[in-house]
Amino acid sequence: MRRTLIVAVTLAGLALLVYQSGLLAEAGLFANGLLPPVPIPVDNPQTDAKLRLGKQLYFDKRLSSDGTVACVTCHRPDAGWADTEATSTGVGHKRGGRNSPSVLNGGYFVPQFWDGRALHLEKQAVGPVQNPVEMDQTPEQVAHTLGGIPGYVTQFQEVFGEAPSLELVAKAIASFERTIVSTNSAYDKYLQGDDEALSPAARRGMDLFNGKGHCTPCHSGPLFSDQQFHNLGIGYQDGKFADVGRFAVSNRLPDTGAFRTPSLRSVALTAPYLHDGSAATLLEVIELYDRGSIQNPYLDPLMEPLNLTRREKLDLVAFLQSLTGEPIKGDPPVLPE
Amino acid sequence: MRSLLLRKLLLAAASGGLLLGILAPAGAVPIFARKYGFECTMCHSAFPRLNDWGQRYRQNGYQIPGKEREDESVSESATPVSLRAMAGFNSDKFSPDGSANVSQLQVGNVDLLSAGLVERNLGYFLLYRPQLNGSRGVVAQPGTLEMANVVFSHLAQRWLNLRLGRMEPAVAVFSPARHLSVTPYEVYDFTFPGGPAFSDTQTGLEVSGWSRTANCQWATGWLNGSDTNKDRDTPADWYARVAHVFGRGEGQTTGQRVGLVGYWGQARPLLDPDAGRQSFNRWGADASLNLGPANLALQYLRGSDNARLWGTVEDVDFSGGFAELTYQPAINLVGFARWDTVSTPDEVTRDVQRWTLGGRYYFSDQLAGHLEYSHRTQDGGVPASAQLKEDFFTARLDAAF
Repeated sequence: MRRTLIVAVTLAGLALLVYQSGLLAEAGLFANGLLPPVPIPVDNPQTDAKLRLGKQLYFDKRLSSDGTVACVTCHRPDAGWADTEATSTGVGHKRGGRNSPSVLNGGYFVPQFWDGRALHLEKQAVGPVQNPVEMDQTPEQVAHTLGGIPGYVTQFQEVFGEAPSLELVAKAIASFERTIVSTNSAYDKYLQGDDEALSPAARRGMDLFNGKGHCTPCHSGPLFSDQQFHNLGIGYQDGKFADVGRFAVSNRLPDTGAFRTPSLRSVALTAPYLHDGSAATLLEVIELYDRGSIQNPYLDPLMEPLNLTRREKLDLVAFLQSLTGEPIKGDPPVLPE
Repeated sequence: MRSLLLRKLLLAAASGGLLLGILAPAGAVPIFARKYGFECTMCHSAFPRLNDWGQRYRQNGYQIPGKEREDESVSESATPVSLRAMAGFNSDKFSPDGSANVSQLQVGNVDLLSAGLVERNLGYFLLYRPQLNGSRGVVAQPGTLEMANVVFSHLAQRWLNLRLGRMEPAVAVFSPARHLSVTPYEVYDFTFPGGPAFSDTQTGLEVSGWSRTANCQWATGWLNGSDTNKDRDTPADWYARVAHVFGRGEGQTTGQRVGLVGYWGQARPLLDPDAGRQSFNRWGADASLNLGPANLALQYLRGSDNARLWGTVEDVDFSGGFAELTYQPAINLVGFARWDTVSTPDEVTRDVQRWTLGGRYYFSDQLAGHLEYSHRTQDGGVPASAQLKEDFFTARLDAAF
């Protein structure tokens, strides 16, 4: 009997030790949490003047070849800094092939774009300007256009000590975009101890998100993204992908049809969803995952059918809605002449 | 007086452990959930029953499929130790001989687990069952290292994985370690005197794999004997298992899985050790059918044992199986009903029938309330004696932390 008692007390003590030591709280390879400050690259420090310049450039359609498209055209503040269209319209009414990702929290992403072809925002920002179906400009044309606007010439001198160039345009826009951060969501408040911040449905959804819904392995960390590339089979039909995604960058077969995991912060504002904008609502996306996504040779091994009930799907939507941060003003600035 | 005090202390200690389970945060406590910060429902439809994802995780050597590079080893992650225990009221009544009747509050099924990754594609699983002396308030269990194995994963992508050590062989398709009920699958435990039960953990080597595109799973293994003492004999028993899933999923909670299993072994008759090793075999078919929140698990098993293993004139051919319906209307509630049967030849007359009904309610990730009733009958055997009957009821808490 004494031996039994020793065993039982030892086991209970061990449990107590594990519990009390805080190991439970520290644990969690994929735990979601509060966003840290946006990392600022040492070679592109932020100044008020640079942020003001970056915002002006973000809103300035003169950066496009026909003067009809600016960054803000496809990354609208009133649409969660994304676009309400499945794919966006560029110069000459040309259509892009992918859904415009939200600029929200873009400063945290490494790499950038759906296929990760740019490592950081400075590299990303030059892409759309030169893309023939977006803004269709050359570096020379950008320098020439901005060099003909005295207000910009003065501001570039003030900020960079140089004449306008596409590289500096990208630096200024990248700096501005780093200020577009989704914070203080109901979920953040809950994390900070406000138990009432989440509705009962959102709390159930949070448990599902981290459990039966199997969302966390990819939508992990404070950004709700592992920043990796996964194949959900979107656009796979008749044995072919409409868009090979990451494969075009990495040239690795397993990357075929894989796209970067988007952040879920403020995701309720950024419909439509998926890299081709083929899902109009969050519920549609959840339905897709519930079916185990679309079977194809390169389907991510994380994809399994979920067997979610209707109520569970709605609870997940409620949780995703709780990730919406405080509104970020995007009033158009006065542009230099 | 002193022993009464000790018993009370023991129950208090166990209750304290269970209370910790109640008070613990929802962020799942047991080893893997703690490591990743997941809820238990990431891998379990209702613990300890695995869902498709959990099954895939286990097959992948305790690594998240597709994220093997990110997975942390035990030296980098949270303490890889968990405890599981049950406590509650048990009533077990037998007839005609009621000398073993039990009707009391008890603590038991105490397991200490450790598992994780040593490094990428090298995992391990340890399950230690501490010795508990049976007495009032405590269910006896021998102190054993119930499982101790290492898993080498991805030796040839997902087609070839190796598990080595003391393990739960893949022959027990519906794992007794991960099923919901307390009562056993009768056909898994049915064997000749001193023989191996499918529900036993055994020492050996198992290679296994699966193909996502072909929707199939396979495993084969060699065990260190199934003699009268299942762990200490030299002949290697061999088994094989193959399964196919129709539709998406692993057949645990989605998809329709059908499979075949075979087991071939040799054993020394317990009643006649000098007779040398005698052969026996088992083969069977199984299915795991899913429809929304319902799962129907079907197992059919036939066995053929050399006559000397039973001490009979003729070889003993028996058959049996079970049908278990599990219904989970909500994430924290699950019910189950099962019928077990084993049919034996007239010469042996040990037919078994069992009806089981139960349910579990999950108060938290770590704590489940468990109700179960089971009625069992078994023919008296040879020489013929009265039919044995058992009525088992339990209302208990199942805690893992």
